[in-house]
Amino acid sequence: MPSPDRTFRWLLTFLVIVAAVLLGVVGVTLREASRSVATAAWVNHTHALRAEAAGILASLHGAEAALRTYLVTGDARAQADYRAAFSDLAEHADVAKALTRLEPADSAKITRLEELLVRRADLARELIRMRQGGSDSDLRALLATDAGSEAVHEIGRLVERFRQEQAERLAERDRASYLQAQTTRWTVLTALVLDLLLLAGAAGLIRDDLRARQRAATAMQQANEHLETRVRERTAELMTANAALKGQSLEDRWARLALEHQLHYNHLIIDAVSELAIVVTKSLNITRVNPAVAHLAGCAASGLVGRPLGALVALAGTPAEDDPLARALKEGRDLRDRPALLADQAGRCHPVTFNLFPLRDGGKVVGGVVTLRVRAITST
Amino acid sequence: MRFNPSIPDPSRLVWRSAWLVLLLGLGGFTPPASAWAVTHSALLGDSRMNPKRFANYFANFRFEYHPEVQPVDSFLRAERGDCDDYAILADEVLRRRQFNTMLVHVRLAGATAHAVCYVEQSRAYLDYNNRNVFFTLSRSSSSLREIATRVADSLEASWTTASIFLYAYATGEKRMLLTIARTDPPGTDRAAEPAPVSRLLVN
Repeated sequence: MPSPDRTFRWLLTFLVIVAAVLLGVVGVTLREASRSVATAAWVNHTHALRAEAAGILASLHGAEAALRTYLVTGDARAQADYRAAFSDLAEHADVAKALTRLEPADSAKITRLEELLVRRADLARELIRMRQGGSDSDLRALLATDAGSEAVHEIGRLVERFRQEQAERLAERDRASYLQAQTTRWTVLTALVLDLLLLAGAAGLIRDDLRARQRAATAMQQANEHLETRVRERTAELMTANAALKGQSLEDRWARLALEHQLHYNHLIIDAVSELAIVVTKSLNITRVNPAVAHLAGCAASGLVGRPLGALVALAGTPAEDDPLARALKEGRDLRDRPALLADQAGRCHPVTFNLFPLRDGGKVVGGVVTLRVRAITST
Repeated sequence: MRFNPSIPDPSRLVWRSAWLVLLLGLGGFTPPASAWAVTHSALLGDSRMNPKRFANYFANFRFEYHPEVQPVDSFLRAERGDCDDYAILADEVLRRRQFNTMLVHVRLAGATAHAVCYVEQSRAYLDYNNRNVFFTLSRSSSSLREIATRVADSLEASWTTASIFLYAYATGEKRMLLTIARTDPPGTDRAAEPAPVSRLLVN
């Protein structure tokens, strides 16, 4: 399963690239939009220039016609007409000059055109002066020498050629604009495809990561379920063991109680025996005496427990370096009817008959029982 | 103050007049324009004349295209005209009241054009298209390029050239003082100055 950090880094890389592509597309689109606006402005400019050129020609024709009518009739309305037409002509020429101010070639053509128009205006003024001055003969002579139609045709040719050139420029700009639009279209489409691929890649990464997380979650769930099963089994085992232990404990308690009862009963038996009974360890230390021993020894039983047997009873006629009791215990033999002396608390010695019986536990000597039978009680 | 029934309540008179006009209007009665139309002399004689006040006189005028500029009296009597008639009249009336005015002719794509009268003191221009709206003055700097751009934007169109011009009612002559093209760099725009009379004008 890919680590979350690696997946995040890849995702971040994809998104950064998508953002970069988007920004690039936005930049390209804005630039193309600006170019389109500029191109549109130039198209409008060119159309306006063609319109002004056509307006020049139309105004000139109108002015010439109105002027001729005035020259013939002297009508004030015709005068107003030619004045308006020449005014329009002047406006169209001014606008055409403004439109071509920064283009030397076109500006030169408009200037040439204006020169021809000024000649027609100068001629018009001269004709009007003659008309208003009443110089009919001079007027007729001037009209006869005027190559008006030829001059107007010349102006018309210039205007049409100029308009045709502008139309060709329009076609060029239209082609350039079309190519720009195509480039923009391809750029945007390519960026769109690239972004879609990147987003698909990012979606794939996210999907793989989600699947890996899902698998991990499933595995963890299974592990948890297995763990819970084990816990339940173990708990059942522990409960069973606990129940068994409780039963065992109960049995042990019962056995201990039985043993204690048996021990107590044995003590009662020993205490009820009239003979003197002394229980000793393997090293001949006293661990238990019955009340008869305490009575004869003149002290409490607790005062005798823990003392060596030899401090209480000694076999008669035994040399000091010999210890037949230890030897008998070691060998596991009985000692019967041996004469011995029991020393009481007052220091008196009482003759007794000594018996030693080894105590065995599992075949091994662990101690002994000494019984004493009093042969005579020494009186004081 | 004791109540005097002989003195009419002014507010009641106004309300009664308003109801009368409303009833007449609903009844289809339209008084002749000449009965209400402002006159040239009234415009020139209005001592409180200012651009806003001038525009208010034309709130009820209608649009009607005329290829030439109408005579003032015809325009005012018919209460119909176009942007040229309005702008040129505004220029004449306001200039007499010491306002610095400028006639601007804006040519748009598609061989259409529009004329406005710029008033320097108001830093705004009078546009016939705004004669019956609340904001009759359109704010702008005195830059010819900005005026042309705002006029074109108000018409949702592109402009190609803009001119400052003069017009004389007496001769009907329109004279261009300055013309700029949109495609020219703004830094090349010249200040308006009296241009020599065109040699193409014939009187």
